[in-house]
Amino acid sequence: MQTVTITLDGREVSADAGTTILNLARESGIKIPTLCHDPRLSSPGACRLCIVEEEKTGALMASCVTAITPGMVINTHSARVMEHRKTIVKLMLASHPDTCLVCDKGNRCQLRQIASDMGIGLVDFQRLPLIADIQEINPFIRRDLSKCILCARCIRACQELVVQGAVDYLGRGFSSKPATLGDAPLDRSECTFCGVCLSVCPTGSLTEVGWTGGTTGQSVPTTCPFCGCGCSISLEVKDNQVVRATPAMEGGANHGTLCVRGSFGWDFIHSPDRLTRPLVKSNGKFIETTWEQALETAAGQLARIAAEDGGARLAVLGSSKCTNEENYLLQRFARFVLGTNNVDNGGSLYSSATRVGLSSSIGFAGSTNRLDELEQAEVIIVAGCDPTSSAPSVGYAIKRAVKFRGAVLVVVDPRLTGLAPFARLWLRPRPGTDLALLNAMARMIVDEGLLDEEFVARKTDNFEAFKAALLRLNPESVEPITGIPHRDIQDGARLFAAAGQAAIVYGSGITQYPNGTDTVKALANLALLTGNVRRKGGGIYPLQRENNAQGAADMGMLPDFLPGYQDLRDVTIRRKFEERWNTPLPAVPGVTAVEMLELARQGTIKGLYVVGENPILSFPNSRQTRDSLTALDFMVVQDMFLTETAKLAHVVLPAVSFAEKDGTFTNFEGRVCPVRRSVGPAGQSLPDWQIIIRLSQKMGRPMPFSSLQQVSDEIEELVPFYQGYSGLEAPYVDEPGLKEARRTYGGPFVKGFARFSPVEYVPPPEPALDGYPFTLLTGTVLYRFGSGTRSSNARRLKKFYSEAFVEINTADAAGLGLRDGDRARIMSRAGDVTAAVRTSDALPPRAVFMPISFPEAPAANLFEVVLDRQSKSPAFKSCAVRIERMKPDG
Amino acid sequence: MDEAKRTPPVDMVRLGEIVSGFKGQRWALIPLLQRIQSEVGYIPPESVPLISRALGLFASQVQGVISFYEQLYTEPRGKNVVRVCRGTACHVRGGKTILKLVKRHLGVEEGQTTPDLEYTLETVACIGVCALAPNIVIGSQVHGHLNPRKVEQLLKRGAG
Repeated sequence: MQTVTITLDGREVSADAGTTILNLARESGIKIPTLCHDPRLSSPGACRLCIVEEEKTGALMASCVTAITPGMVINTHSARVMEHRKTIVKLMLASHPDTCLVCDKGNRCQLRQIASDMGIGLVDFQRLPLIADIQEINPFIRRDLSKCILCARCIRACQELVVQGAVDYLGRGFSSKPATLGDAPLDRSECTFCGVCLSVCPTGSLTEVGWTGGTTGQSVPTTCPFCGCGCSISLEVKDNQVVRATPAMEGGANHGTLCVRGSFGWDFIHSPDRLTRPLVKSNGKFIETTWEQALETAAGQLARIAAEDGGARLAVLGSSKCTNEENYLLQRFARFVLGTNNVDNGGSLYSSATRVGLSSSIGFAGSTNRLDELEQAEVIIVAGCDPTSSAPSVGYAIKRAVKFRGAVLVVVDPRLTGLAPFARLWLRPRPGTDLALLNAMARMIVDEGLLDEEFVARKTDNFEAFKAALLRLNPESVEPITGIPHRDIQDGARLFAAAGQAAIVYGSGITQYPNGTDTVKALANLALLTGNVRRKGGGIYPLQRENNAQGAADMGMLPDFLPGYQDLRDVTIRRKFEERWNTPLPAVPGVTAVEMLELARQGTIKGLYVVGENPILSFPNSRQTRDSLTALDFMVVQDMFLTETAKLAHVVLPAVSFAEKDGTFTNFEGRVCPVRRSVGPAGQSLPDWQIIIRLSQKMGRPMPFSSLQQVSDEIEELVPFYQGYSGLEAPYVDEPGLKEARRTYGGPFVKGFARFSPVEYVPPPEPALDGYPFTLLTGTVLYRFGSGTRSSNARRLKKFYSEAFVEINTADAAGLGLRDGDRARIMSRAGDVTAAVRTSDALPPRAVFMPISFPEAPAANLFEVVLDRQSKSPAFKSCAVRIERMKPDG
Repeated sequence: MDEAKRTPPVDMVRLGEIVSGFKGQRWALIPLLQRIQSEVGYIPPESVPLISRALGLFASQVQGVISFYEQLYTEPRGKNVVRVCRGTACHVRGGKTILKLVKRHLGVEEGQTTPDLEYTLETVACIGVCALAPNIVIGSQVHGHLNPRKVEQLLKRGAG
């Protein structure tokens, strides 16, 4: 790259050709004010505030769009430049309303800041303030066009960062403004209310609906508690209340973007329904009590069961929402205090297939590359997930890759997902037949010799067995099984194999089928065949549903692994932990979450400790789950809210939210993200980690911790790939400790070689279709999350998106006499729910879609418990249902 | 009053054909818009989603471009476009009254089209034949030295 030297404010400075004057000035420590500039966005040179003067020609030019050329002599603060700059600001102020005192942007307003920096108080022009034109008919975003300076930051952020394109300029000259298609209100536009436009708007033109506290002065960087993306957010705090959440630029994978949940969903923190005192059930009713009393009762009952029947009669269900430290403590509590390996976490329902499938293929249970690298892929396969609603940051990254880097997207999903319109190829397999499709693609790659032979030969084993299994496959059969034309399968295979860097992203549409583990292996096979596992821009990205599903598994909240996926059947590993914890450990693996409930129903498990999970809504077959929990001798539930599960407990312990405690979450990439206390606890609620420590003391088996740091120290000591994670000062810690042990990219495969797994598609035993003609698919919607405990207590999300729905193909709806808005009963062999009908062309015939996360219409009711043979996680994506119209009056 | 009813239905099939000829060509947005306008007479808002999908743009972007250019219309236009001059010379010689008369004859305001789609009324800053002021242009024909009687004749003849 050629170096160019210019004279900047009398000093010679150099930079690469193509650098703008503005960037060079900022690198050289010279402050030039800007309003429309944002380093992440394209530069339109709209506000003209950054003008500088070229001394030799006398030209004034916008420094944000002018590249340096040799010999330039630039003055950034000459009298002439300053005069022009002041005029520009005064003109803006002359048309700006006089509402600064009551403007929610307060001192965060950049226009006001710049005016103040330049000493502009009174505007000596005739003032013609624009008339307020306020739109706030949605619960999130308030728009006041009279404060708009037409910098287009909202427009560019919408198009270039979140790639939604809901707004652009409309009109020209004085009448131009940012507007949606047809100038419709935001709630009737493409807008997803991600709130990124709010965070980039330099004035009070875009603010949150309602007064959010103006300038707060206190902002705490932490991590979003919803999905597995682990976006960095700043919580702004005033008078011990969180008033606002903004996307943080640094640290997370989100680079200053968020989704509606991150921007607006945090208000469950201050919900009036939060639990504030411990509850103990007496004669079927909860009575508020003291911590002392509640812990005494819980400890007494757990100790009684352990003493009478042994630890195996107890189980602990932990949480993919709690911090790493809390999960570590919780499994240590189970193993050290209760003496049982019956520990699991709710995230297992979603990710066990990944853990088992990827571990056996590439020796590593998680995403192989970072999200930033996904944007560099040439081809991206997105299978069985809709990141635009389940993991929006990943959705943004994929859309950016397609739109701005020319990546080719292949979507594999029966449903029209948010990404399908961006796809070159949309493969639409019948639900549950992805494995047949993937095997067929692998076969074509082998047949056509498109495989990366060197990689296969040097880095993998078991190829011959895999190839032999592929050759047994009957290519003719795949089209009728999957419903995808042969040509399309061929196109998909060729696109994937031809790319230098090809990545695979997948989610619950793969993992939550009875053949989930095999399908994960089939995806890994494809990546291995084409050498895309140890390659930048390649890789496999399993999405995680919950914020800390990855961390809970890393911390050993699993029945068969000690922290760090260390196999507890291995006597040397067990001895290491026994010595460290100074206690003998049970050598037999415990039972998984779903098995716990089954054993509880049978009376084998008598006591259950549930932390931050709501199995009645998040596990299949609500009725059966309820029976299991009612059959328990004793259950203690630790949560923020009195959930459906907590209502059945004997003791309920109030826990704080993510905003009221410290710790770390590990996102789906494996990035350890800090969680920081921003406000004091609601009532007497306590952080989960403190509760667990106090409970262990009450049980007479105290764990040797008096601070969170001591917990972190023990994690670092015992979990190799978390070494050093807590000591780093950086706000976000990437790839902690032994990078090589954790990441396959750039490091050796954990077991030396990656392994091909022959996996065969076995058609499911033909279900008796007696009266259940529809296939139900479940999934996430953007405005709700998880089992819905938090999002249904988030006031604004609930207001905007209040009702559960069932989405049905327009033609099928007509056949059933259903119209939009009708109420329908959805029935399966396991149970039934009612929901409002929404007709749509997003679905193939005979398929219906229901979102999870609506406590009032739990899709979980409809599922029978069918386990994946290998990972023992339940199939929870799809089942057979029938649908009936309900009479309007009932 | 029921103007919407008089707007001819949009031939979506034909629109689709025009748009498909430009598939994937982001640069060709303006030529495509001009093509649609020359065939249909205006750019029906219904065509925006078609265009944005075919060219890989956001619908709001396409709308932004259409609304930026004076020459692109999103409503049907009359067969005859009447442009009343508001230049200085015409103003001095009573152009303002001429405009008022034209409005009264046609029953529409500036920028509007008569419900029978015969006339669209516009104003222009100057047409460069100030010697003939006051002027109007109907279609491509200039009419000068206007007075109330002439306006009546012109617009009556056009309507008949």
